[in-house]
Amino acid sequence: MASSTAVLRAEPIQLPKRLLAILPGIGLLTIVGLAGKVLEKSINTYSKAHHLVFPNIEYVLWAILIGLLISNTIGVAEVFKPGIATYEFWLKTGIVLLGARFLLADVLKLGAVSLTLVLIELILSIGFMTLLGRIFGLSPKLTTLLAVGSSICGVSAIIATKGAIEADDEDASFAIAAILALGALALFTFPPIGHWLGMNDRVYGLWAGTGVDNTAEAVAAGALYSDAAAKIAVLAKTTRNAMIGFVVLGYALYWAARDGRQAVGNKAAFLWQKFPKFVLGFLLISLLASLSIFNKDQVNSLANLSRWAFLLTFAGVGLRINFKEMKKQGIRPFIVGALGEVVIAAITLGLVLGASKIVKM
Amino acid sequence: MADQVVEKKAARSLSLDGWAVAIALLLAALVRLGVLKHVGW
Repeated sequence: MASSTAVLRAEPIQLPKRLLAILPGIGLLTIVGLAGKVLEKSINTYSKAHHLVFPNIEYVLWAILIGLLISNTIGVAEVFKPGIATYEFWLKTGIVLLGARFLLADVLKLGAVSLTLVLIELILSIGFMTLLGRIFGLSPKLTTLLAVGSSICGVSAIIATKGAIEADDEDASFAIAAILALGALALFTFPPIGHWLGMNDRVYGLWAGTGVDNTAEAVAAGALYSDAAAKIAVLAKTTRNAMIGFVVLGYALYWAARDGRQAVGNKAAFLWQKFPKFVLGFLLISLLASLSIFNKDQVNSLANLSRWAFLLTFAGVGLRINFKEMKKQGIRPFIVGALGEVVIAAITLGLVLGASKIVKM
Repeated sequence: MADQVVEKKAARSLSLDGWAVAIALLLAALVRLGVLKHVGW
């Protein structure tokens, strides 16, 4: 929601003014993220010093919880909002930098497994969400937005599809609210289920990357499990994001035919326009790392820079969730989204567990 | 109006990716050149 509002306000103002406008929000992201890190460390030190058995709660969860608390109690002042909307920039920067921790061969191997799972998941989840939308009497375009949001990559996919199928602002807001609420829910349900099922880091990371809708929440759900799981979740989610162009193109063609509009002209240009370019940055850094352009210490530095970028992202995830705003959007899209999510999470879990038996992970 | 909004969104999402890649590559170059050393966590 916050991101779409910020997008609508984006005017061609001068760069120094834009930088000045985002500084307070970035400051808030940093404070919230650091507070999460300090809390994790302090609690660990305290429990060790006093020989207490206390579950290790990662800074990720603390940062999200502090953000949620601020957003839903005192609220976020307008001055901070442009800077908080930069969480997506930090997320993408973090993902590109994380490429240094992958050898291209691993990316291709895991990417191929992810791609197969993503393709099956796409077909099943789009079909199921469309069916649910019809059963609950949602408008066809809202159903399309929910199907795209839950099957590919949350908010970005909804915004891209909204333009392509000429859906209403209201439908897009409904879909975005449902996807964000459900993404928040995934943060608290995926890690316990993963632990309960005894999933290893790679299998869990694959599940988080294919099952959680929005990229920030998928990375956070992975990081809540372990660092290694976050790494795999990023790769699986990036593969899923790369499919955005094809699905949006499919829907654009379908709705153009249905509304009697002119269909998409240059399909290759359309696919390139919708393709998330940060994926190319991720692959480039991964290629450089595979060519041993960076030594071990440098790879560690890049991985740590990626962690700092994610720290700001996770703070932003909490700060942009406002339950009161979500409540205003009504309950039906949320119910459809929630039912769909449970089934999609179950489908992806089955797919990942099945794949882990076939491919050694 | 709706088209303008869509155009603005598309333009911004493209530049956001571009900025993210550019900053990440700049950081990678700084690390490679030894300007940024031993970044801790």
